[in-house]
Amino acid sequence: MKLKWPRSARAAFTALLVIGSTLAPIVGILAYEKYRSRQFAADIVARAPEKGNYSPQSFTLPVGRKSVIRIRNIDTVVHGFAVPGLGVDAGQIKAGHVALVAVTPEKTGDFPFYCTVWCSEFHLNMRGVIHVVEE
Amino acid sequence: MPDQTAVSNKFLGIIPMDGRLELTALPGVRWLFKKRWFPMAAILFNMFMFMVILLSGVVGGFSSGNYIFGIMIVWILWWVMLMMVLVPVFSRTWCMVCPLPSFGEWLQRLRVFGVNNKLFGLNVKWPERLRNMWLCNFLFLATTFCSGFFTVKPLATFLLLGGIIAIGIVLSMIFEKRSFCLYVCPVSGFQGLYSNLAMTEIRRKNPAICEKHKNKTCETGNKNGYGCPWLCKPHSLNRNTYCGMCLECFKTCPFDNMAFNLRFPGTDILVNSKRGLDEAWKGFIMMGIAIMFYVAMMGPWGGLKDWVRASTLGGWLTFVSLHASMNLLVIPGVFLVFAWLSKLASGAKDVPLRQVYVNLSYSLVPMGLAAWIAFSFGFLLPNGSYIIHVLSDPFAWGWNLFGTANFPWTPVLTRLLVPLQFITLFGGFVFAADYGFKLALQTYGDRRTAVRGFMPLLAMLMLVTILFGRLYGG
Repeated sequence: MKLKWPRSARAAFTALLVIGSTLAPIVGILAYEKYRSRQFAADIVARAPEKGNYSPQSFTLPVGRKSVIRIRNIDTVVHGFAVPGLGVDAGQIKAGHVALVAVTPEKTGDFPFYCTVWCSEFHLNMRGVIHVVEE
Repeated sequence: MPDQTAVSNKFLGIIPMDGRLELTALPGVRWLFKKRWFPMAAILFNMFMFMVILLSGVVGGFSSGNYIFGIMIVWILWWVMLMMVLVPVFSRTWCMVCPLPSFGEWLQRLRVFGVNNKLFGLNVKWPERLRNMWLCNFLFLATTFCSGFFTVKPLATFLLLGGIIAIGIVLSMIFEKRSFCLYVCPVSGFQGLYSNLAMTEIRRKNPAICEKHKNKTCETGNKNGYGCPWLCKPHSLNRNTYCGMCLECFKTCPFDNMAFNLRFPGTDILVNSKRGLDEAWKGFIMMGIAIMFYVAMMGPWGGLKDWVRASTLGGWLTFVSLHASMNLLVIPGVFLVFAWLSKLASGAKDVPLRQVYVNLSYSLVPMGLAAWIAFSFGFLLPNGSYIIHVLSDPFAWGWNLFGTANFPWTPVLTRLLVPLQFITLFGGFVFAADYGFKLALQTYGDRRTAVRGFMPLLAMLMLVTILFGRLYGG
């Protein structure tokens, strides 16, 4: 015997499928990323200085607490990210790749960070500063 | 007029080309084709993918094309699939599952799965003068003017796909059925022409049944399905060119008289129906674009790359002028010389040059498709591995959905790249030469005249093969 769905159930199922393949992926992806990025104390975009440099070039971290920094290289060349004062070196971050570094600052102060890969003729300008403060 | 029927039905005089294997005779295939959810399920999946692609065009990484989901999926995976598998094997199957016109079609039908043959919208007939490939030709060519952006700028891909969806919706509210797909969509034209070479087809099974069937529900529709959305007459379909393989005719035929056949590749090239200059120019444009893409994307000419990427407006305008001239004038002009030589060599004074020109131009279908397949190897093998990365991290946000976000760039079998390209080009040449001779035979009628008329075409096909071999082989 062939089962026939009620008209309203079919309409609801169809609407669910259409929304699930159109709006839902967009909303779902953005919501997930919003939720996921809450774990990052700082979210840095890395580009060569003439294309925008690190963005932001300064941010604040709390002293004595573990923080995760995300560095997204959206450039076409390799970049790096190092904070010598905090003992952080993300190594080479290839074009299109993302690095996550965890750091627990033990003292307050300003700590410069910079690119460790010769990425452009303005490479030496690719730098910024982390302000470590009491919470 | 020459006898148009004296064409050998054997490939290279050896392999029979008339055989058909009906795939819908296999258990389950016809059942699947008759289900309304079948193409729609694939369309909805592709819709999901395109939403992710569109989103990746406006968020996520910006500068590095290799790590952009939209660019990799559209211009590496989809394009390669289209050129290497979908069109040569399954004809216009992509059109069956393409999500881009779906919003417009749903609006027309006011249904997603169900059937409503009273279509919403103005349902105006497409202008008679534009019922050909000319608009597709110009739009596809115009799209390639921006090829320097599409493969590196995600926003450009977003604008292109978003624009196609938007235009599709607007036109579907004005014009009847799939007029947009038939006469406007830039991807449609070359699929139509190259699907003549495909190994599959949708055709009626028994002509007598269709002749007796007065209602022609495959055209008009019934409670089981829509009248052909592609404005074809499935009961007398003899070429793949304008069949979007939507499978509606399987649903509407009350006699199960439609078949999905496996066949020898390219038999539609010999079907002398609706041939015209629009399709000839499509063949020329596809050859020209293959040359330009290779020269600009993989060639060593940095100055040309700067033009294509619009480093300066003047440079880009120079590129557009040269590219348009080559495709619309130079290549058709060169072909005209060989068509004229063919007519001259044949000695057939009663055959119009236009007929020689149009008919022989179809020999470029296998040659062009082979050039595109060979070109596709050139970016699939070195760059295909990027797809593994972007599947896990589609927006360059540091995701790792499938654990492959750190998969390194891994060129695959690149030492075989040039041999594969040469083999593909040679295969294309063999098909082009065989079909070229059959087209000459169709055009000139008797064998001796056709042999003479074929010689200039053969020389041209050899030159084209050598040109592409030289380009790809370096």
